[in-house]
Amino acid sequence: MKRDNLAAETNRLLTKVEARHELEQSLMKVYEALKIAYITLGYSQLQSQASTVGPFDARVRPRSVMGVLVPEIVAGKMPAITSVTNASAYTAAEKLTALMRELLDITEAEGRIEIIAQELMLTNRKVNALERVIIPKLQEMIRYIDGRLEEETLEEFFRAKRVKAVIRGQTG
Amino acid sequence: MRRGASIYLLTRVHGLRTHLIAPRDIQLLAKARKLRDVSDNLMKTDYATEIGQLPTQEQDARTLEGVFLRKLVERFFFVRLAAQGKMQDLLSRYCARFDVENIKRIIRAKHGQSAEEPNLIPLPREYSLVNFPALVKAKDVDEVASLLRDTPYYPLLDKLQPYRESGTTLILEATLDKIYFSRVWELVVKVVGMKDLVGEEMDLRNLLIAFSLKAREAPSRLIEEAVIPLSHNLPKTTLRSVVQSRLEDAPSILTTAYSRLASEAVSLLKSGSSLPLERLFFRQLYDDASAALRTHPLQAGYIVAYLLLCECEAKNLVSIVTGKQLNLSEEEISKGLFGI
Repeated sequence: MKRDNLAAETNRLLTKVEARHELEQSLMKVYEALKIAYITLGYSQLQSQASTVGPFDARVRPRSVMGVLVPEIVAGKMPAITSVTNASAYTAAEKLTALMRELLDITEAEGRIEIIAQELMLTNRKVNALERVIIPKLQEMIRYIDGRLEEETLEEFFRAKRVKAVIRGQTG
Repeated sequence: MRRGASIYLLTRVHGLRTHLIAPRDIQLLAKARKLRDVSDNLMKTDYATEIGQLPTQEQDARTLEGVFLRKLVERFFFVRLAAQGKMQDLLSRYCARFDVENIKRIIRAKHGQSAEEPNLIPLPREYSLVNFPALVKAKDVDEVASLLRDTPYYPLLDKLQPYRESGTTLILEATLDKIYFSRVWELVVKVVGMKDLVGEEMDLRNLLIAFSLKAREAPSRLIEEAVIPLSHNLPKTTLRSVVQSRLEDAPSILTTAYSRLASEAVSLLKSGSSLPLERLFFRQLYDDASAALRTHPLQAGYIVAYLLLCECEAKNLVSIVTGKQLNLSEEEISKGLFGI
């Protein structure tokens, strides 16, 4: 039951992660713009332009999926890039900001997959242990107990028969 | 400035000009296989002493950029110190562009509440009236502005309210540009043959601001706030029309020398080309500075042209070393170089 639900959740997340390839393509374009900004402005000037952009407000909180705690990213407001005055730095910042939410979605999905996969592995090990070791051992024990009980019943039956015969001989 | 002093200064600048790296050599640097080859080739230039002091493992684009900027500052202030009288006053104001850039960097860092210290242009203490260590330690933009109360940059204090309302440093940066160019323009108009290049830089900066802000669909009111309220070959009314009209109409509005430049900028923005807008505008300025070196060898404009070409050389070198560090191809680096 738990394993099935986790597997279903993984499948759902995998479809999200499939968008990673497109995201990587878009990121390559952003890096090109960033490279242009770097060679146009140099490190110090670009760093100065970037310092106007405040930190990105994102919180990570735990969420339970079948008792497994997975991360959930709650993205706040995007940082304002209006103070990036240089044209090439602005172009790079604009392109990168547009990809931030997508980047977070995929990060969240990948983080969840990692944890769920670990949990699935653990659950699989438990299931395997149950299926291949504990349940067969218990079944073996049941079979043994069954045999013993059967044997004891037979013995009892035989003993009763013998007692009956002895009693019948004495009375006869 | 007295005639003798003026001839002395011009002669010094003629001599200094020979120290600039020739465009052919800049191109060869762009062709270098790796960053190490660039720094090796620079050992034959004015940068040799500083680069020679750097341990090989520390020679990356960032440290080399510091070397180029230090040399740029040194060149500017060498010329200023060689001048006398009014010319020295004018050059002092002209050299204040480093102060302005550093103040902008500090304001940006304070605005973004950056934990890192701003990376400033290495400016020796004796070359500036601004107390940069105190500005760096300021806790916010308001304190930076109040520390500048006794300097030429005091109008920043009046712009704090609009800055808070707009939430962008653009207002403060524009104010700094206005102060800088107003102070230079005030003296430069009195010197024969010098105002053309300063005026052209002002016009081109205004066009660059207008085009880049229009491209990001900024409101006209903000663009009008950001432009420098001075003009040379670009009348204020024309600039206002450019700001208020559509970007595509700009080339037809600009009937001056900048019309061709405007059409190139519009097609650049439409094509989504990787060539940055500022390269297009400043290429024009540096080309004109090179032309001024050839055509006005005996005018004061020669000095500004030399200083602009020093700036051009520093920008080219920064582009080359950064490009090499980022493993960019020669074509990609050459596309962004000036005067090649």
